[in-house]
Amino acid sequence: MKKHNYLLDGIILLILILAGILGFIRIKTGFSYSWSWGAIPQFFFRIDELGHLKSNLLMLGFYTTIKLSFWSSLAAIIIGTFMGILRTRKNLFSRLTGRTYIEIARNTPPLVLIFIFYFFIGNNIAAAMGIDEWARNLSDSGKNVLSFLFSKPERFSEFLSALFTLAVYEGAYVAEIIRGGLESIEKGQFEASDALGISSVDKYRFIILPQVFRKILPSLTGQAISTIKDSSIVSIISIQELTFQGMELMASTYLVFEIWITITAMYFVLTISLSTLATFLEGRMIKY
Amino acid sequence: MTSKPIISITDLNKTFPGSNKDLEVIAVKDVTVDIYQGEVVVVIGPSGAGKSTLLRCLNGLEDFDSGSIIIDNIPLNHHHKNRLEIRKEVGMVFQSFNLFPHMTVRENISLAVRRVRKKSLAECETITVDLLEKVGITDKIDSYPSQLSGGQQQRVAIARSLAMNPKVMLFDEATSALDPVMISEVLDVMKNLAKDGMTMVVVTHEMGFAREAGSRILFMDNGEIVEDRKVEDFFLDPNEDRSKAFLSKVI
Repeated sequence: MKKHNYLLDGIILLILILAGILGFIRIKTGFSYSWSWGAIPQFFFRIDELGHLKSNLLMLGFYTTIKLSFWSSLAAIIIGTFMGILRTRKNLFSRLTGRTYIEIARNTPPLVLIFIFYFFIGNNIAAAMGIDEWARNLSDSGKNVLSFLFSKPERFSEFLSALFTLAVYEGAYVAEIIRGGLESIEKGQFEASDALGISSVDKYRFIILPQVFRKILPSLTGQAISTIKDSSIVSIISIQELTFQGMELMASTYLVFEIWITITAMYFVLTISLSTLATFLEGRMIKY
Repeated sequence: MTSKPIISITDLNKTFPGSNKDLEVIAVKDVTVDIYQGEVVVVIGPSGAGKSTLLRCLNGLEDFDSGSIIIDNIPLNHHHKNRLEIRKEVGMVFQSFNLFPHMTVRENISLAVRRVRKKSLAECETITVDLLEKVGITDKIDSYPSQLSGGQQQRVAIARSLAMNPKVMLFDEATSALDPVMISEVLDVMKNLAKDGMTMVVVTHEMGFAREAGSRILFMDNGEIVEDRKVEDFFLDPNEDRSKAFLSKVI
């Protein structure tokens, strides 16, 4: 076996450290920026006139990002499961439906999708269905529930179009993950279930999908993390999520670096907690 | 026998399509056979003879090209409802067991009883416990399939099919994936089942089982039924050259 050359490692490490120090000195002298981190905490929480602690812009954006990601991931899993199953069926019409959806949703830039959904659903369909009106005429407690679960009633139709866009876009990827999972299940499982006279719905519900979801949990977690990150694009239609609040704050305070570093950290906290949770769940699953 | 057959197969044909005419495989050719209540029909023949395909046609796992299958007065055709009805009455045991790996033995056995037969939880439990006793595995009710030996898994699979209280049981090389000790424990269960009067169609290479428990032999070759005889007659005095050649190899 070849002996490991520690001397070489040491020299490379030393060069890297020196380069780092030089770079830092160079930036420190050439880059005049006065950091003011002290201004950031007030954007998380503020004290209102009555002396109560209230969430401020950053936290409000954080909540919106969580709500948006949660609902769109949930919807994406439902759409994706359905389309993924269609994609693996024998029937030509089912396969075409699944394939068409996946190809259209996956081969369109999400930013373009968002405009289509915003002007189409947000402006026309939501109005035609009276969703805005319905949200505005809710009782006070109804409005509170709506704000807690989704968004403020007056912005509900925008929130819906953002939710739909993300769900449709991420759903296509989920559908492909589900298809991969379905194809990894032995044919015998389908046959045993058919031979027992179990209906198609029960076959997927009790036998096939539980096995599929266990197999694809890591990929699904990855997709949920993508959804959180991709949710930042809906800032373009003025959904007041984390990125949107960041742009607002930046425009009014010019604390460019502090704000974007803080926002990066907030996204990171969200995604890392999700993947930790998923790892924990994988460990807790019954081994069979 | 004068009673009506429980399974009636007429002029059954099944071809697996290939990319061109030369690659087509004729799996089942002009098969006509009636099977009566209580018979144990053992299907034997060289591999590739179409035994498993014939069996799989009987519960609609494989579609056939022409001919007809009528089971318990229900024609097996493109009507989905008929297919489900037939599958309720026809149990099947596979070579590779095909137990559901994410469910315990109890859940494996009771799932179809609960969802298809719509029995109550208490009834399911009674059926499960009784059947596990019948196949000789009482202490594994809460185990997962991966914790069982091959022979135990196959016996659970048999119990799972029996739980639906079927009129016919199909066995597709049920012992081919097992080692000798386990083969005998599974065969014992099948013999007891035959003794109890279950109508069975068994594809197997176990000539001992055919002799002991079988009532009729279907010898198949190239998709055709070459001989359809009583067990004693077939083994003592096979009619056809093909069956003689086959028997001289396996016995």
